[in-house]
Amino acid sequence: MSTRANPLGSGSQSPRFFDGFTKIMLTTMIVLELAIFASASYMSRHKLTGAGTDDIVNNLATATKVNGEHHPFVQLPGDSELSAFSVANFFAGLIVGYNWVKLFGSKPQPDGKKED
Amino acid sequence: MHIEDGILSAEACAGWYAATAAFVIPGIYEIKHRIRENLSYKPFLAMTGVAVFVISAMHLPVPVTGSCSHPCGTALAAIIVGPFATAVISTIVLFFQAVFFGHGGITTIGANTFSMGICGGLSGWLFWKALRSVSCPVWLAAGVAGFVGDLVTYLTAAFELALSLHGQVPLMKQWMIFFMGYAPTQLPLAIGEAIFTAAVLLAMVNRRPDLLPQVLVRKPASQVLVGKEA
Repeated sequence: MSTRANPLGSGSQSPRFFDGFTKIMLTTMIVLELAIFASASYMSRHKLTGAGTDDIVNNLATATKVNGEHHPFVQLPGDSELSAFSVANFFAGLIVGYNWVKLFGSKPQPDGKKED
Repeated sequence: MHIEDGILSAEACAGWYAATAAFVIPGIYEIKHRIRENLSYKPFLAMTGVAVFVISAMHLPVPVTGSCSHPCGTALAAIIVGPFATAVISTIVLFFQAVFFGHGGITTIGANTFSMGICGGLSGWLFWKALRSVSCPVWLAAGVAGFVGDLVTYLTAAFELALSLHGQVPLMKQWMIFFMGYAPTQLPLAIGEAIFTAAVLLAMVNRRPDLLPQVLVRKPASQVLVGKEA
């Protein structure tokens, strides 16, 4: 049994690194990241905290309540929250991408062939 | 809308759990039924569940208000997999967010699912259905569904808080106080969610309208795939 470095075979066309999908996704990502960066910079310059509205309203609710303290089920310390988000989003991206390609990756043609 | 532990009373938590169960149990049957009749439903469900998980954890800064909030994605989910199935996936999503991220709480999963997964999803789905029934284009119906679903989620969360905590203050007044904590930040995000919902649904319709028969067919007798008209 042998393995091949290029499963597409020597005669086939190699996949393009910057295909249309990658370009659109990268552009969308950069636009969104720039928007987040600009928003955060504006808030920082104007000394706005950028707190989550969930937390703001939870604090408001606790202040309204006669007794008790609100708390999340678990509070991750330091950068571990970033790690948790990164791991979850990485695998979430894989699952969404896998199923998206499975369902929408190709258009069925009238003759039964699939278009990439 | 992620209400944390320690805010709602035990009675309120139990009540919202019961209300949520009234939608989640039919949702489980809906999933079992649709898996049997549509082979694409399982990957749809997996993709949608994970998308809701990511979207509802994605805090975006809104510079006008100086605070951050997140979209929900449940209107899109309700259109694709159905409103009752959306209740099921929202319960799972909120459980994982509470356990791993500190978003929300365990005692409040019922209340949080009711606002995001049930009211947000159902309202978006109803607007989608209503607009499609009057031949509204896919992008517009999906956009309105996303916008409405987002805002109804936060209206419901504010109502849940007000119902438990209003005390001597009139319920409506307390409701609006809590909602105004969300609304200024949520309004721009609801517009963003409208654009996102419309874009994703249009992409799906353009790529594979044959995979979305229950989403696109207006009149079962005519078997019209409206996506081609949009």
